[in-house]
Amino acid sequence: MSEKVFVLGGEQTDFQRNWTKEGKTFMSMMREVLDDALEKVGISYDEIKRLNKENRVAVFVGNFDAEQYANQGHLGAFLTEVNPALFGVPGARYEAACASGSVALDAAITHIRAEDYDLAIVLGVEVMKTVSSSVGGDFLGTAAYYDKEAKGVQFPFPKLFGKLADVILERYELKEERFMDALAEISRINYANAKRNPKAQTRTWFMNKEHAMARGGANNMAVGGRLCITDCSQVTDGAAVTILASKDYTKEYAKKTGRKIDDIPRVKGWGHRVAPITFEAKKQESVGDKYILPWTRQTVKDAYKRADLDVKNIDVFETHDCFTSSEYAAISAFGISEPGKEHIAIEEGTIDFGGKKPINPSGGLIGVGHPVGASGVRMMLDLYKQVTNTAGDYQVKGAKNGLMLNIGGSATTNFVFILGK
Amino acid sequence: MREIKTVTILGANGAMGSGSAGVIAAFGGAKVHMLARDVEKAKQGIEAAVASVKTDTIRARMIPGSYDADLEKAVAESDWVFELVAESYEVKEPINTRIAKARRPGTIVSTVSSGLSIGRLAKAYDEDGQKHYYGTHFFNPPYKMILCELVTHSGNDKKVTQALGEYLEKVLGRAVVYTNDTPAFAGNRIGFQLMNEVAHFAEKYADKGGIALMDEIMSGYTGRAMGPLATADFVGLDVHKAIVDNIYDNTKDEAHETFKLPGYFQKLIDAGKLGMKSGGGLTKVVKHPDGKREKFVYNIKTGEYDPYPKFDIPFIKEARQKIKDSDYKGAMDVVKNASGFEAEIARYFISRYISYSLSLVGEVVDTKENTDGAMGFGFNWVPASAFVDFLGGPKETIKLMEASKIPVPKLLKDAKEGKKFYELGDKLDARSLFKG
Repeated sequence: MSEKVFVLGGEQTDFQRNWTKEGKTFMSMMREVLDDALEKVGISYDEIKRLNKENRVAVFVGNFDAEQYANQGHLGAFLTEVNPALFGVPGARYEAACASGSVALDAAITHIRAEDYDLAIVLGVEVMKTVSSSVGGDFLGTAAYYDKEAKGVQFPFPKLFGKLADVILERYELKEERFMDALAEISRINYANAKRNPKAQTRTWFMNKEHAMARGGANNMAVGGRLCITDCSQVTDGAAVTILASKDYTKEYAKKTGRKIDDIPRVKGWGHRVAPITFEAKKQESVGDKYILPWTRQTVKDAYKRADLDVKNIDVFETHDCFTSSEYAAISAFGISEPGKEHIAIEEGTIDFGGKKPINPSGGLIGVGHPVGASGVRMMLDLYKQVTNTAGDYQVKGAKNGLMLNIGGSATTNFVFILGK
Repeated sequence: MREIKTVTILGANGAMGSGSAGVIAAFGGAKVHMLARDVEKAKQGIEAAVASVKTDTIRARMIPGSYDADLEKAVAESDWVFELVAESYEVKEPINTRIAKARRPGTIVSTVSSGLSIGRLAKAYDEDGQKHYYGTHFFNPPYKMILCELVTHSGNDKKVTQALGEYLEKVLGRAVVYTNDTPAFAGNRIGFQLMNEVAHFAEKYADKGGIALMDEIMSGYTGRAMGPLATADFVGLDVHKAIVDNIYDNTKDEAHETFKLPGYFQKLIDAGKLGMKSGGGLTKVVKHPDGKREKFVYNIKTGEYDPYPKFDIPFIKEARQKIKDSDYKGAMDVVKNASGFEAEIARYFISRYISYSLSLVGEVVDTKENTDGAMGFGFNWVPASAFVDFLGGPKETIKLMEASKIPVPKLLKDAKEGKKFYELGDKLDARSLFKG
């Protein structure tokens, strides 16, 4: 596996931008991010034309809900609008709620592994500021079981992940104060990390531990049980591209760009599991299990097994902190701590930027922002930056292997990828 | 990193005072003495500060006080005194004399000013005080507008400047632009040059569409969210006058004549029509009984307000569509190649803006990144250097300037072709400032 699929790099848009306010659309976003990514990686449209003649290149578009946010479907075909060089290139759109970027990555990885293509352009994209937050919240409800969990519910997802916080607290018999402090610390870390990331949505926003702890009231409203605004990631407009390649192409590419193939990271392992869609079913199924999200844990284990690696080999993590409770549960799923003892890892600074197992040096979804269909691709791009030592101010020193967890729904679709050299 | 634990804000009840205090208390975690004419006003400032940064956590470390009762004690225990009282020497100088007497050695004192001389204000202080005296020109509202022009004068110490700059940038999250002590500093000098010259053109072409036409020609496709005259109306014609008069009186550069206030601005000011804040100025919005709002624009010829016209200028439409599609160079090609007097005006002002911005490097700022930052972060206008790239590079830009009879700055003449001229990179995505 680890010698089959390489990552050549990519680019993301500035997640602070509001494209509707700029008078631009998802289409302009796709154009900018693909142009930027190809320039950064050093692949021209002429090169794509050449590869296309030999049927060696394909595109994979991750997107959750362009139909509702932008009144547009068939996004897989839209790269042809970016540049005529993409006429004829096989392309399709992939959807798995917030894991849409990962399902697109998964398809690209699979095709390269099967030696169908030599180059795969994976583009995740979502415009979300086209509608108000309450309308957007309802659209997002379709990532859950809409009729049972979201219909008529204002902001259904904070409520579902608020329930996850409740279950964690009850199952592990944690002291509420200590648990809520740990969640606030997750917020603090993600916002602090995002300040170093020039493409993060929240890089100019105010946040500190004191504010994250001050839950309730008009300035940090409760939105889902125990969870308040500071416990939530916020949606945004954004797109990200990562470019994957076969070993043969990577050899050509390395030669052309004067790099060594050993310096180019490869996908070492992956995991993909789907848990029961409703949160109630997840909760029932996990009774008696050490893990509250056993399928998330299983996805991580699958990836470790395929990569022949373990938590001790992973230097940096990018996780799906759609809410602080989801990052909390991920800590034990990664194997950083035993289930029920995640708060200790947080208190000891293990997951902090300078800690032993840093999580989300980019800022994660809470700090970077969460353009749903782009998040998985953005995480892969961040792993690429970390393991190639190109993350700039948010570089984790000496990172060799990175792991990402991207989930769709209430931890329903679980995707894990491990990238390293 | 310089430690700033206690700050005194003078002018705590104004929008800029409360907004800056919010940023300092929140991002800086500092204890803030909020001083105003009376304690009640200071308390209002605290509530406004809380609302501006949306966190109740700062309330407990903000202490209300009055100039009469609390200034000396607050200043004596402060690491930074931030003065935001009214913009005149008559008001600022006496208060600086009081600060100077109460200040401990090493305490930084700074002022918010759109154009007063920092060197002159510093004269109230002893040698240590002058060394620690700065202009910290925040933009409104400070939480959202992250620009801070850090204005130095000849008496400053480079080490202190560096430490203060680092604090403003790393702790308070400001985009710091270093400027010299020159009239209106960088942002307003460049911004108001364009706005005022556009205002003159509105008068010159009053028959063809005047104010509305000029704002249409200089609309979003030229790299700004709001037309220059709409901006003047937004900031207030009285404020506009104060800034351009100050520049006109105290500078003598190539654009000197363009800073003369147009006669119709003075007429409107005399009539109390100061802009949006007074219910009307260059434009006004009328709310009809059925709730519908209608926008009107001042007719420079007749002195009446006419319904705000719609324009159909083909090259602008075409350029906007290109911007909408994120084809910025394509949009600039449209502007470069279009014919007609509207296109000539667009080319003239794009050239003027780039030329004037770059011409100030060496006098107002040391590097073009500082003027670029001032315009990008302070005005949300596409910075001059980025424009050079979108226009196709230095040579193409020079061609445009020569055709519009605009002076070509040395910086551009010396620039290397084929290399990116814009160097702020990831700090500011200039594309986001074009509006389609």
